[in-house]
Amino acid sequence: MSDERNVGGSSRYVRVTASCTADDVETVGGKAVGLGSLLRAGQRVPASFVVTAAAYADYVASGTEDSGLLRDDVRLALAQAYDLLCEQRSDLLTVAVRSSATVEDAHDASFAGQFRTYLGARGVDSVIDQVELCWMTARDPHVDSYRAHREVGPEGSVAVIVQELVHARAAGVMFTQHPRTGDRSLVVIEAAHGLGEAVVGGEITPDLFEVNKITRQVQTRRLGHKVVEHRLTSDGRGVQVHPVEPERQQQWAISDEEIAELLRMAAELEAALGRGLDIEWAIGTTGEPAGTDELFALQVRPITIDHDAGRAGTSHANPIDVVLGRLSGRATGSGG
Amino acid sequence: MAESGGRFTDPYDIATPEGADGWQSMYPSYLLFGDDLRERDRDKLWFFDQMHNPEPVYPFDLMMPESWLVSLNQYTTRIWNLPTALGIEQRIVNGYLYLSPNVIEDPAQIAEREPIFAERARHYFENWDTIYEDWVGKATDCIARLKAMHFEPLGVREPTETVTSARGITTAFDLLAGYSRLLENMHEMAYYHFEMLNLAYGAYLTFLEFCKTNFPAITDDLVARMVAGIDVILYRPDSELRRLAHRAVELGVGDVLKSPGSPDDVVSAMEASPEGKEWLADLESIKDPWFYYSTGAGYCHANRAWIDDMTPPFAAMRDYVARIERGEDLSRPLEHLQAERERIASGYRDLLDEEHRAGFDALLGLSRQVFPYVENHNFYVEHWHHSIFFNKARELGAVLVAAGMLERDDDIYFLHRYEVYSVLYEAEVRWSIGVPTSGEHTWRREIERRRRIYAALESWRPPPALGVPPEVVTEPITVTLFGINSDTINRWLAADGAGAAEEFHGLAASPGVVEGTARVVHRVEELDQLVDGEILVCPLTAPSWSIVFARIAAAVSDGGGIMSHAAIVSREYELPAVVATGIGTQLVKTGDRLRVDGDNGVVTFLSRAADSAESAG
Repeated sequence: MSDERNVGGSSRYVRVTASCTADDVETVGGKAVGLGSLLRAGQRVPASFVVTAAAYADYVASGTEDSGLLRDDVRLALAQAYDLLCEQRSDLLTVAVRSSATVEDAHDASFAGQFRTYLGARGVDSVIDQVELCWMTARDPHVDSYRAHREVGPEGSVAVIVQELVHARAAGVMFTQHPRTGDRSLVVIEAAHGLGEAVVGGEITPDLFEVNKITRQVQTRRLGHKVVEHRLTSDGRGVQVHPVEPERQQQWAISDEEIAELLRMAAELEAALGRGLDIEWAIGTTGEPAGTDELFALQVRPITIDHDAGRAGTSHANPIDVVLGRLSGRATGSGG
Repeated sequence: MAESGGRFTDPYDIATPEGADGWQSMYPSYLLFGDDLRERDRDKLWFFDQMHNPEPVYPFDLMMPESWLVSLNQYTTRIWNLPTALGIEQRIVNGYLYLSPNVIEDPAQIAEREPIFAERARHYFENWDTIYEDWVGKATDCIARLKAMHFEPLGVREPTETVTSARGITTAFDLLAGYSRLLENMHEMAYYHFEMLNLAYGAYLTFLEFCKTNFPAITDDLVARMVAGIDVILYRPDSELRRLAHRAVELGVGDVLKSPGSPDDVVSAMEASPEGKEWLADLESIKDPWFYYSTGAGYCHANRAWIDDMTPPFAAMRDYVARIERGEDLSRPLEHLQAERERIASGYRDLLDEEHRAGFDALLGLSRQVFPYVENHNFYVEHWHHSIFFNKARELGAVLVAAGMLERDDDIYFLHRYEVYSVLYEAEVRWSIGVPTSGEHTWRREIERRRRIYAALESWRPPPALGVPPEVVTEPITVTLFGINSDTINRWLAADGAGAAEEFHGLAASPGVVEGTARVVHRVEELDQLVDGEILVCPLTAPSWSIVFARIAAAVSDGGGIMSHAAIVSREYELPAVVATGIGTQLVKTGDRLRVDGDNGVVTFLSRAADSAESAG
């Protein structure tokens, strides 16, 4: 939606999300670049700012890591940026604080889910605490071993995204190409009740929709096993896991109209960013919980795919030769 | 039905239904499972040809499958020399037709046939449009010669002209010679039927497979929509009915057309006014050929054409008039359908990498070039020609009634075509000598016996397949023409114990999901029981069933492929359809509540009809 939501002047420690491009990946990390692309592609994205890798570097260099004391200039930059976000709401915003590692979304090595996300921070102190926790996570042994396994290089730096939370009624992920077969004609949507964490964390089986991009028809529709949902607490300061009532487990997490909206988002993003995207989304409200539900794009990255389709050509230019070959027992779709 | 280890019932283990003992005597021995080939035949796959012959085959009507038994197979085996396939065998089981494809696996034999096939098939592909134009000429000429044939009862004495023109031969000779020509004519049309079909389906199948390789989730329906013509001859009869309904309203005789009563009553009422007469003249001008339109697949004499019984077209026009008066637009949205076809094609094309688009265009182009034949041959052959053929046979039946050999003209269909020669000859014997023969009583008794057997066979429900399926089904004719592939086989195998099934599967033929009440309809005559908004569950539909599609919520058919009638018309009316379920009519009872998922090819039982509801319905 609007760039004005992502206000706050850029500085050494803080960046305006909409200004984050692939050239900035070492400073702001892959997730922030993804958010920047979503904003530039005209998508509605919850308001956010980025704490740069430089802030992390200075934090480590200053030796305050163990003492929990943050340099004043970093603290000031964060406080100003957070205040700017809150100004738009004239209230304290509940935000998600996520690491945006500078190696995370490197080509062909999606670290999806490997970096922890902190939901429900509210107030300057809480936000700064969470940023610090993110920085510590960058040294989490679990993360290190994953990085070593994928051989993406030495320890990277880490940036942090502070982003307004969506009171999500439903959320999930969307692939603009079938993640297993590579079929480009499909948009595959996984959806569940509540925040997207239950889907991303694999706690539940989400509803599945395979939608044809050309006819816009839902070709496959499978009801998930959505036993729990993540919801913001009523005071907006945390996230709680709730059991989903049996009747609601039997209901689809999203409507056909919402599927159509997701399809439109997929088309716009493929047009802007190219084929084969993995998109996180949510449907809900920001700010006052009583507002109208809207579709938000939360994240985008290139899909991690088993094999790309669109690979099966025919070696003959003359269709008659191809047909004669097929009727002689040779398969048409060779290669791949 | 299915047994463990992935085999169907052994064809040699099928029991004869009660009251049908001796059914084998109605059919030639080469179409029966005989002891000589037991070891070979029990381990092959035999599938029920529900698409063309959903009912037990009448002995005379066996002419139809037997015609393609030689013509289609000669094209595969001897003319094209298809490298990987021999012909398709036929067997009759309890009166029902089963088929079994044969493949060539020996690489040396394939290699030997390949260059011959390539040269011959290429000739047709490269000259397709010219050959098709000539084909239309050959087919219409064959139909014209058939139409010119007449069978008249033998007179008390030979006409004077036989003497005055010193003819030498007689009208009795003409009768037998005429019958030979009738059979030859049918045989000839069967060759035209398959002259271009193998190759056309081959081109279509290649494009289909190209699409499926690139887009694994693409449905057959979408591929068909990219290729199929919009304004094809097969829809012309229904379009004419819509036009005639409009005309009647314009002329102010819509109420007459809408009035209840038989077609004859309506025609009489029309004759009472100049406007009505004008409308009748319009009707007469389009009857030939558009009312030569079978109510079945064109393989059974019992499915009369509109030309013989105008009840179905008049019922449809009555409905159309009512809809026009309600302000509905009856015209088929041709421009919309055309735009939709191009939108789908370019949508898929754009998803391909640049270097594969030329291949897509080329295969789509060839498929579209050959497809008019696929769509139109059906009208020329199965509707126009076969309708006339069955009527000529009925005419001959009337001759045999006059000669005292048969009781009713349609008894002739209980005789195999070569038995008809014997009966004709015996009629000639009686006529020549001038006294009765014992043969006439023998044949009448035999026909009575066969009538009882046939009734017993009708109540038997043929399983979709027998014997042992191959690991994969790739033979192009089986796959495209009969819609049998490995998925179909697996569905049938999985349908074991289907009596208690909560759902069953078929081909997703037309998208959408609806819930509603089922109406099981086996024959076109039963369609008048259908209540608006019900789900039609049937063995298969024929083009003349189109008239009910405006009233149903969804269609489910046992047989049919993605290009079958039910699939095409459902897409046109934007109704969900699931075809090729194999067993839908056996599982569903009228009154059952169903969910038809045309996106995924699944039919789910929501609730079962109480037994009383069925008899009440």
